[in-house]
Amino acid sequence: MKLLSLTNRYYISSILVIFIVGSIVSFQILKSTINREFNEKLFAERDQFIYEWHTYDGLREVLYLNIGDQIEVQSVDHRPEIEETLKDTVMFGAYEKKDLSFRKLRFADELNGQYYIITITKSLLPNEDLIQGIGEIMLFLITALIITLVLINRWIAGMVLEPFYYTLAAIKEFNITKPGPIDLMDTNVDEFKELNSVLDKMIVKNQKDYLNLKEFTENASHEIQTPLTIIKSKAELLLQESSLDEEALNDVMHIYEAAGRLSKLKHGLSLLTKIENNQFEDSEPINLKRFLEKEVNNLEELINLKELTLEKSYKAEPILVLNYDLAYILVTNLLNNAIKHNTERGRIAVTLNESELIIENTGRPIKGDPALLFERFKKNSHTKDSSGLGLALVKKICDLYGIKIIYSVNSNLHRMALSF
Amino acid sequence: MNILIIEDEKDIAQSVSRYLEKEGYHCEWVNNFDQAWEKINLYSYDCMIVDIMLPDGSGLDIVEKLKLLRSKSGIIIVSAKNSLEDKVKGLEIGADDYLTKPFDLSELNARVKAVIRRKSFDGQSQIIFNEIVVLTEERKVSVKGKTISLTKKEFDLLLFFISNENRVLTKESIAEHLWGDHMDIADSFDFIYAHLKNLRKKILEQGGGDYIQTIYGVGYKMHKP
Repeated sequence: MKLLSLTNRYYISSILVIFIVGSIVSFQILKSTINREFNEKLFAERDQFIYEWHTYDGLREVLYLNIGDQIEVQSVDHRPEIEETLKDTVMFGAYEKKDLSFRKLRFADELNGQYYIITITKSLLPNEDLIQGIGEIMLFLITALIITLVLINRWIAGMVLEPFYYTLAAIKEFNITKPGPIDLMDTNVDEFKELNSVLDKMIVKNQKDYLNLKEFTENASHEIQTPLTIIKSKAELLLQESSLDEEALNDVMHIYEAAGRLSKLKHGLSLLTKIENNQFEDSEPINLKRFLEKEVNNLEELINLKELTLEKSYKAEPILVLNYDLAYILVTNLLNNAIKHNTERGRIAVTLNESELIIENTGRPIKGDPALLFERFKKNSHTKDSSGLGLALVKKICDLYGIKIIYSVNSNLHRMALSF
Repeated sequence: MNILIIEDEKDIAQSVSRYLEKEGYHCEWVNNFDQAWEKINLYSYDCMIVDIMLPDGSGLDIVEKLKLLRSKSGIIIVSAKNSLEDKVKGLEIGADDYLTKPFDLSELNARVKAVIRRKSFDGQSQIIFNEIVVLTEERKVSVKGKTISLTKKEFDLLLFFISNENRVLTKESIAEHLWGDHMDIADSFDFIYAHLKNLRKKILEQGGGDYIQTIYGVGYKMHKP
């Protein structure tokens, strides 16, 4: 949810609550005030009536039509046993041609020994209209208020939050492998100033750490390779010495082998670090089908030598944007694994469709937890030619490109499924 | 044949020159950029082995200078960095090959020979090993005048052996030569054995000799009896 809609939601809902409560309360206050005034008017009319009724004898003979209020005088023989009552009633209004509300004041009076019941009926219409009018005004006000609020909020958000969105965009664009400071917008708002300065510090520190790590990896790589090359080349020279007996030759061979293993290990580890540090930047669109065909072809000789059956099924030609080297490592590691851990006269199946690459192979059951398969140095067989990094590399590469890799095993059929 | 080794590490340079001198090459060694600069301006070499990282400069600059001088010498870049960037750049500016440390001397030797072959015979080259004749450009092999058909790996294997005649080749170096450094297969040595068996068979069938000897625990060696 956007910040703006969230604040708007709070604003609008609190305004609505205030409006509803306020409307109810003011309606009640208005109503009771008007009621009271109205009743007072009725009572005043009563007093006036009694005064005029008692004072001007002529009234009783004259037919006097009062169009405003309706006054009904009913003469009775005996003293009416009624209390003075106020009553609301609905009657048909001739003018408006509909039922209208009226209020009736009924009271008894005695004049010259004659008893009367007098009813004064007064239309409530003006009061109702007033309340309705006030309600309409409030409704209009509230609508106008909410619309203004939303518009102002949107405008403020666009203006006030601009540095924030700018910073957000800058962070999104940020790539640690690219040197240089991050481009942030100057702002006078303290909060954004603080955010930007914290971000700036963080990024500078991260870039420094990244460079240090990169430098370390490169230095370590270079500095280790040199002595390794010396060990390897000296061992190789010794291997050519005809004066060495078999035992000595074997010892030299072990030195040579160990140097080779160390070099491979270092190579694998620095590759992992490089992937983790995002140092493989140049990606290119790769036609996975053609890529697979080429790599499978390269390995076909090995597959034949091991007398494995290869089943290829390429149903689509998905194009993935990957770094070429990493794509190569990914595919060859998976294929090599399928060959390496296969059984005698086993089977390899490579299936490719629009969104999935599946490599299946027969093989011995793996020891240990399959979930740890992608961890470093969790190799199943303790052979000296396996660095234990192959699947860790595969996983890292998949993670880097958001490819999902799932390993499953079903009665000695191992299955690696990559979905992209 | 003169070879210039530009390498700041004395021990590496020594190993390389000892290995190559036994092949009949004359090796000179310089350990910094300035000396290398001087040498390439004064003399010409058939092949140069250039380390990229020198204490006082980059080997890539030397490669560029050589191209500027229209030098005919072959150039092999050697780098401790296994970086594709350097490799692509090195080959782009005119190096003939690129090798990552740590390398096998046998591999370097094979590459030096390949580079010199390409440079000196303008792509026309045949190697004769007794009755075996290898046409390197056409990738054809004949035994006693009869062409034998080899797979790609068998051909590479034979050429690698002939380039390193009389040398012990470790199984590791053969595996790396055939499959590159991503070869991480436990039973790759079985594959080497299988390829060798087929290669021997094909040569023997045409009346060729069996020149490849197994050195127990180490590898193989090809030599004339």
